[in-house]
Order: sequence, then C-alpha cells, then structure tokens
Amino acid sequence: MKQMDKAWFLSLFVILIVTTACSTVEAWERGHLAKPHMALDPNPMHSASRGHIYAAREAASSGGSAKGGGCGCY
Amino acid sequence: MVVVAAIDCLNSSRPGNSILEALNATADGQSGIESGIEDLKNLLHCHFDRLSSESLAVLTKAALALPDILPGLESNNASFNKDPGKIRSSTPARLSLRVLTTAALALPGLMLPAVQAADNAGIDPGHGSVKTHDNSLHSESRLSLLEGGGFSFKYGHYQEFGAPKSLFRDKRNDIRVDSLQVDGNLSLSNRLTLRAGFIQDTWSGATPLTTAPAATVKRNPNAETGASAFLDLTNGLVQFDPDKGVGTTINPSNPQTIEFVETNEIVQVMAEASPETRKQGDLRFEYDWDKATGYFGGGISKEDDYESRYVNLGGSMDFNRKSTTLNLGLSYTNSNIDATRFRFRATSVPVDPRNEPNPAFPDYSTSVHETRRDYSANLGLTQVLDQDSILNASVTYIHNWGYLSNPYKESTFFARLDPASFPGQSLLFTRYDRRPEDRDLLTVRTGIVRYIDLLNASLHFDYSFFHDSWGIDAHTFDLAWGQPLGGGWIITPNVRYYSQSAARFYNPFFGSTRAPLSFNEFQAAIRGDSSLLITPDFFTSDHRLSGFGALSGGLTLKKTFERGIGFEAGFEIYTHRGGWKLGGKGTGRFADFDFWQAFAGLNVDLAAFGKAVATSGHGGHGGHSGNAPAGILFSHVLENAGEFMVGYRYMYGRRAGDTLAGSRPAGDLFIVNNGCEVRACQLTAETMNMHMLNIMYAPTDWMNLMLMPQFMDMNMSLRQLAGAPPPAADANGGHFHTAGSAGHATSGVGDTGLFSMFRLFRSPDHQLLLGLGVTAPTGAVNITIEGMEVNRNDPHFGQPLLIHYGMQLGSGTWDFVPSLTYLGQLDQWAWGAQLNSVVRLQDKNSSGFAFGDEFQATAWGSYSPLDWLSMSLRGIYTVQGSVRGRYNGASPNSAPVDFPANYGGRFWDLGMGLNATLPSGPLAGNSIGFEWVQPLVTDVNGFQLDREGSLFLNWSVTF
Repeated sequence: MKQMDKAWFLSLFVILIVTTACSTVEAWERGHLAKPHMALDPNPMHSASRGHIYAAREAASSGGSAKGGGCGCY
Repeated sequence: MVVVAAIDCLNSSRPGNSILEALNATADGQSGIESGIEDLKNLLHCHFDRLSSESLAVLTKAALALPDILPGLESNNASFNKDPGKIRSSTPARLSLRVLTTAALALPGLMLPAVQAADNAGIDPGHGSVKTHDNSLHSESRLSLLEGGGFSFKYGHYQEFGAPKSLFRDKRNDIRVDSLQVDGNLSLSNRLTLRAGFIQDTWSGATPLTTAPAATVKRNPNAETGASAFLDLTNGLVQFDPDKGVGTTINPSNPQTIEFVETNEIVQVMAEASPETRKQGDLRFEYDWDKATGYFGGGISKEDDYESRYVNLGGSMDFNRKSTTLNLGLSYTNSNIDATRFRFRATSVPVDPRNEPNPAFPDYSTSVHETRRDYSANLGLTQVLDQDSILNASVTYIHNWGYLSNPYKESTFFARLDPASFPGQSLLFTRYDRRPEDRDLLTVRTGIVRYIDLLNASLHFDYSFFHDSWGIDAHTFDLAWGQPLGGGWIITPNVRYYSQSAARFYNPFFGSTRAPLSFNEFQAAIRGDSSLLITPDFFTSDHRLSGFGALSGGLTLKKTFERGIGFEAGFEIYTHRGGWKLGGKGTGRFADFDFWQAFAGLNVDLAAFGKAVATSGHGGHGGHSGNAPAGILFSHVLENAGEFMVGYRYMYGRRAGDTLAGSRPAGDLFIVNNGCEVRACQLTAETMNMHMLNIMYAPTDWMNLMLMPQFMDMNMSLRQLAGAPPPAADANGGHFHTAGSAGHATSGVGDTGLFSMFRLFRSPDHQLLLGLGVTAPTGAVNITIEGMEVNRNDPHFGQPLLIHYGMQLGSGTWDFVPSLTYLGQLDQWAWGAQLNSVVRLQDKNSSGFAFGDEFQATAWGSYSPLDWLSMSLRGIYTVQGSVRGRYNGASPNSAPVDFPANYGGRFWDLGMGLNATLPSGPLAGNSIGFEWVQPLVTDVNGFQLDREGSLFLNWSVTF
C-alpha cells in the first residue's frame, strides 16, 4: 500500500509542476504542434492492436478507459 | 467551397463569423493581405477559447487552400519552419494564415481529426478555389442530415515463436492470431459524431497449461490428453525432491535403455487448441462543445467461453487558452466466463463430462460459470509546454472483482512423502489456477512529445509505472521517432522496454508445506482425502504473472494520399526473457518466447471523397454500371483512364436445416448408414462471412485492373445424429464433440484476386465486358483442430487433424477466373447477363486436394423509381464439382463434410436487390448495394446440408 501512496504523490507532483510552469503559446505559434506526427498518438490503429496484444501477454494494464478486448486467455 | 462550408459551420452568434469575414476579405483582395492577417490574428486571439474544433478545422482548410486564390505566392513552406522571421518578408499571407489556422488546431484533444481533414484539403490543390463553389453551398442535399463520415479497415497478424528447446518438450509456443477491424464514423451534425466499430480475432496454436520439473513429465503418445503430441505430467509418485528441486528421469535422449539422469530443468506443459474466434462490436456518440468534448459508448465482446459487455463515459475540457486539456474517462465492464475445460487435465486424470465427478480430485470440474466486473477511472492532463513540446500525464485506477483466474491453467504441487517408505519420491498433483477475487491496479503514465526542428521530426517518449495489489510492479518505457519523408509519407520507428515483478502467489510449481505423508496417509490421499493435499489459498503458474523483462522494436509507415485516403502499415518484433527483468531475479528461461506482429490498414474520409467526386464532375456515375445487383462481380468498369475505385464487399452465407441426399432431405439413420465411412456420424450447421476489399484502377479507358484481397470467417456447429452409435475414442480420429460443444471457427486472409477487365463493345445503351484473372492461393488450407490421429496403424498417427475442406480459408490452388458480361439500359430500366467460371489450374494443393471447378450463369433486370435508387431481380444457375483428391494428412471422419464426395452440386437461386448512389451532399459519389439470394432448387453431390441463403452488401466510390 505504501507504494500506492507513493504513486499518487508522484502523479500529483507532476500535475502541479506542469500546470504552474507554463505560459500560453499563442494560436499562431503552434505550427509545429499542428503537424500530424506531433499528435499524442500519431498511429492510433497501431496503438490499439499493440495495446490489445500487450494486455494479453503482460500483467500491467496500459491504463485508459475500457475498450473491450475480451479474455485474451491464449 | 471551403469558405462557404465554413459559413455553414459558424453561425452568426459565434465569433467565427467575423473571422470568416476577415478571411473572405483577405481572399478577395479587398483589403491588403497584411492587414487581413492582422485582423485575423486579433480576432483569433480574442475568440480562441470559444472556437469549436469544427470551426477550427474549417478555418484550417481555408488557410491551406489559400495558395490557389493568391496566385504567385510560393508554396514552399520549409523556409518558414526554419526561420519564422522570414514569414513576413517572403510569403507573408500564405504562411501566416497557414500558421494562424493550422496552429489553432494543435490543441490537445482537437488536433488529430481536424488536422487530418486539413491535410486532405491541403494536399488536393485542385479544389481550393473559394469562388467557384459558392453556389454548391446552398444546394439542397437529399441527405443533408449526414455532414460527413469516414471508414477504416485493418488487418493484423500475430505470431509466436522462439520458445527454448528442450528434450522434455516437443511442442513450442506457436500461437497465431488473425484480426480484422472495421470502423466507421458518421457526423450526424457538425457537433455530434457517431462511431461504430467491429473487431474479430481468431487464434489457434499451442499454449502452456502448466509448468513442471522436467523430471516429472513424460511424453504422452496417445490422444487421451485431447491435445496434440505434447509432454504430459505423470500422476502420482514421481522421482522428485521438492526441497532440492532435483529429480531423476529416464534419459530422454536415449529412452530405450533404463539410464537415469538427474535434472533440475523446468518445462512448460503445452496443449494445442482448436481455432477460436472473438468478435467485438461497439458504438460511441461524441459531442463537441466550444471548449469541451464528451463521449458515451458501449460494446460487447463475444467468445465461446467469454462474453464481456462494457460502457464508457468521458470527456475533455480545455483551459488556459487551450494550452491545457483535462480528460476524464470512466468505464464499467461485466464479463461472463463460460469455459469448457480441456477434456483431460495436465495430470492425465480424465475429466469427462459424461462421467460423475471423481472425488479424488477436489477441484474437479469440466466447466466454469463465473462472472467478473471491472471498474476503471482515468484522469489525464495534456499541457502545451512551448512551441515545440506537449506533455501528457495520466493516472488510471482499475478495480477487478470476481473470477480473475485463468480457467484452463493449472499449477503443479508436490507432497512430501515419508522417506522410509518412499525414498527419493514425492506425490504429484495439480490444481486449477486460483487467484484472489479482488485486484486493485494503478497506472501512472507520463509522456512528452517534442518537435525536432532540424529534421522536421517528432520525438515521443512515454514512461508508465504500474502497481497492483497482487504485488506486481511494472515499468514501461516507450520511445518513438516520427519522421516525415515527403510526399505524405511518415515513418515512425519505435523501441519499447517492459519489466514486471512476479505476483506474490506465482511459482512455476509448488512444494507442499505439510510434514511428509506416512504410507497410510499417502494411501488415503490417492483415494481422495484432499485434506492431506494442502495448497496455499492462492496460486498461479501462469507465466504472465511471473517476473520478466521484454524488449520490442518496430516500424510504422503511414501515407496520406489525395482525397482523403490514408494508408498505414507496421511491424513489430517482441522478445520476452525472464532474465531481462529490471533488477534481475526474473523467472527461469523455460517461459521465454518471442512474437512478431504486423498490420496494414486503410483510412477513407468519405466526405473528402464525395467532394472530390462532385468537383471533378464524376458525381452522377449511375448509368450503365451502377445498377448491377450487389452479388455480381465484374460488372463495373471505370469510365475514364486514370480513375480509381475503392470498394468493400461483404457476403454472408448460411447452410443449416435438413441434410440433403441429392435434392431430397435424408433422415438421420439413412445418413448414418450411407453417408459416413465409419459409424460415428455428426452433422453441422455452417455460416460464412466474407469481407473483400476491391481496388480498381483504369490505366486506359478500355482496360481496368483489379486487386481483391479477401478475409474469410467461418464457423460450424455440430450435433450427434439420431441412431448413430456413441463415438468410440479410437474410431473417429480422436476428435469428437460432446453435448453443448460450441463447434469450430476459422478466420483469416483468404485467396487474393488479381483481375483485368476489358470493354469489348460499347454503345450508348449496350456494352459487353470481358474479365480475365486469377486468384492466388493466399488463404490457408492446413488449419487443424484439437485432437490427433489415434489409430496406430494409420500412417498419420500422432499428427494433428485437418479441419474439414469447407472450413479452410482458401482453395490452395491457383485458379483461373474468366467472365463475360452484357449490360443494357433504356430510360429507367437496366438489364444484364453474365457467364463466369472458376477453373482450378492445379490438380491438388499443398494439403493434397483441389476444390471442384465452378460455372455460373445469371441474368437480371432492374428498375429505377428515383434517379438515385434502383431495385433488381435476378436468376442464378450454379454448378460446382466435388472435391478432387483428399487430405494428405490426418483428418477427422466424423461427419459428411469430412469426405471429398460430399461437395458441390447444382443450384438455382433468385436474387432481390436494392442499389443507391448518393447524388449530392458531402457523401456524393458513394454507392451502396444490397442483395438477398434465396435458394430455389438445391441438388447436392452426396450428402450435404441444405442452403438457407446469402446476403451481399457492397459499397464503392470512384474518384
């Protein structure tokens, strides 16, 4: 349980740092960020199938909300 | 067109209107470009927070189309990226506008769809003119409800290999999974989107049942295990010392002599399973507000042994002038596990549903009926750090409750025995996997995306930490590099490292903590006194809960074509090693394995298509080829050289009901006596789903080329025939079905068609088409099922059994496919006729057989009550030969379908269809067809199931 607390603390810390440290980037300054390969998930098709396979082969969940996936019992 | 569409999106109550006016003014050259840009900047600055993603997408399109309305401006934007100062001096208007608007889209959560839309508009320079399409803005659309849509299709393959070699194990990890995914989305209004998805996975191969010391396993040469040749656990007394972990075994490399060797090797005990299919369907509604998005959805996933239903709900909200986005997602999954276990346990103790439970095996059960619930909450944050970086962090908490064990896996236990009575021996027993009924999981994930100016590339780095209440800690590091190559290509190599510690209750095998059993206690234990065979509360030997590390690397290639088509393909290779766990102390190398996976997918933006079609003047195709019924192939040729067509065809067919002998129903006893070569005889019901992708290109206006990959999915169920004697274990190829058995499924890539179409004759009302082509044998013809040949006198003794001919995914032979088609039309009437054939070019395939040749004649008429809708009626006659040759490997012989003579026949059918071509609106140029084919007369070769009918669905778009 101790590690659980540590993890919560760590995430809170990250969120705090992030939200306080940034200034706004104006709309017209986002040319780079708009590029398709700068998307958070530029290959969503690939990520979905990888995620499903990892979930069937590894104990850790990948996080995120339920998208189905069945048993993966094999 | 672009700007006009924008006016639709941005109604007067919104700031977009004034931005639009400014944009129009700039485009028209009414005001100076420079001042127009300034106006836009100010407006965007003021109202940035209030713009919806749609408005932004539209603005972006407008900006990207701008080069066409401001001729003379350079179109090279590379210089801009390197030196922002140059913008004003060299190409001020275009670049600033482009930055202004595309930039606005670089907002977490909004970015992807909008930018893709923009890309599509931007790449296609032919349709950028603002003025020419003004009037199309207000044209009425019959389907004005549908604002747009998209569609994607993906195929993936997963293959395991690389398990360690051992003298004690002759079955390697070879699980393979074929998966097919189709997704669609439809914009119901400019803020509401409906998404629907379908996924189908079919897996087969050998999977570990349990883990045991090599000293205690033996080769199991008969099929009593219900699995293909694999090493089996010996039940009862074994030469193994659980304290030292060392046992003596007969030397496996020289089993003819009695020569004992000491070994401390551990092996996985493998079992082969018949192919199984999972299907999943889901729906999701998404709504966009100005500063937030929300979604609500749900779905269902079905396997023979596992059914999940899930709902999810979530959304995102923008803050700090869209620099910060908060995401929240909640989901709930309810699963029912309905597993029928392997008929025999790892210890060779019979688990036969027809018998009473054996009291000697306390967790004896042939089936599992349990439930499980999963609750998940996810909180995420996306932050624009600076002009080149985005940070992403999330926390996910999941609670699992219910049956969390694996119903098929077992753990091996050793009870110590009194050394005086049993020197060097212990008692081996197994128990089914037992895990706690609760599990709490926490994942903290953080990642950064950074733009690398020098190479116009992006660097993605993600790290996540995982912790759960079973004692597993895991770390994942993922690094990817996105590199545009020009021409719409992006290549993304990636590397991933994963490490996990073992669950508290994991062990490859377990020694009992109880004091050694005396001779009398031993006698009581093997008679069924389970109180003497002590196990911990929870235990598992599933290597997925062991400690290990895994390294994987891959490559994704993505190309965005003109007019809204995207192509994506990827490959990854993965290596699982016990020794690669962070900090060491992973599990032994017995569980090591590797896999590779590859996928390819196609993305189609229908609205972008429709626009392309409408503007290039091909909108009203219709005419000759648009009205042929959906079940007919080779009836469509492209009108002009250089045109492309993309289509998707789906076919469903079902056979069930009576078994026919020729054209008359045959009674069970008649089939038992005449239809099967051996006594045991079963019957099937069969369904088939076929997905075909159809890509057509016209290099000249009289000849077309067609590429047609196919994806098959079939399943069958069985029943015992009344009057058939009960199956004897040695008489049916070691494969039989018990009551309630779910049957079999196969799916994967089918044969691939390569065709050419020639226009032999053409007048305004008549044309004659010739089709010539082949199908390449890309579909598997060697799929096997659970069980193996058990007749020792059979040359195929010990081999796995091939599933019946009709369930294989392809023909296995190169086939010649000619066709001749006549098409005619007058006013609202159209008609046609076609002769087509499939001729096998080889006598037999790699499995020893060839399907019979096919010939079909069909004629139809259709009437169009509206210019976009037609109804058709057709007659079909088909004749097909029986299977030639027979399997050159072991195959079951328990049903008529297992015999080559029971294939083919003569068939009359009636088809009724509807075709629609959308004439206008964002989806203009798309055609959909539907046809139901009803059997009229069926005259089969030998004994076959009656036919219930076929359904054809067809979608295509030409551009």
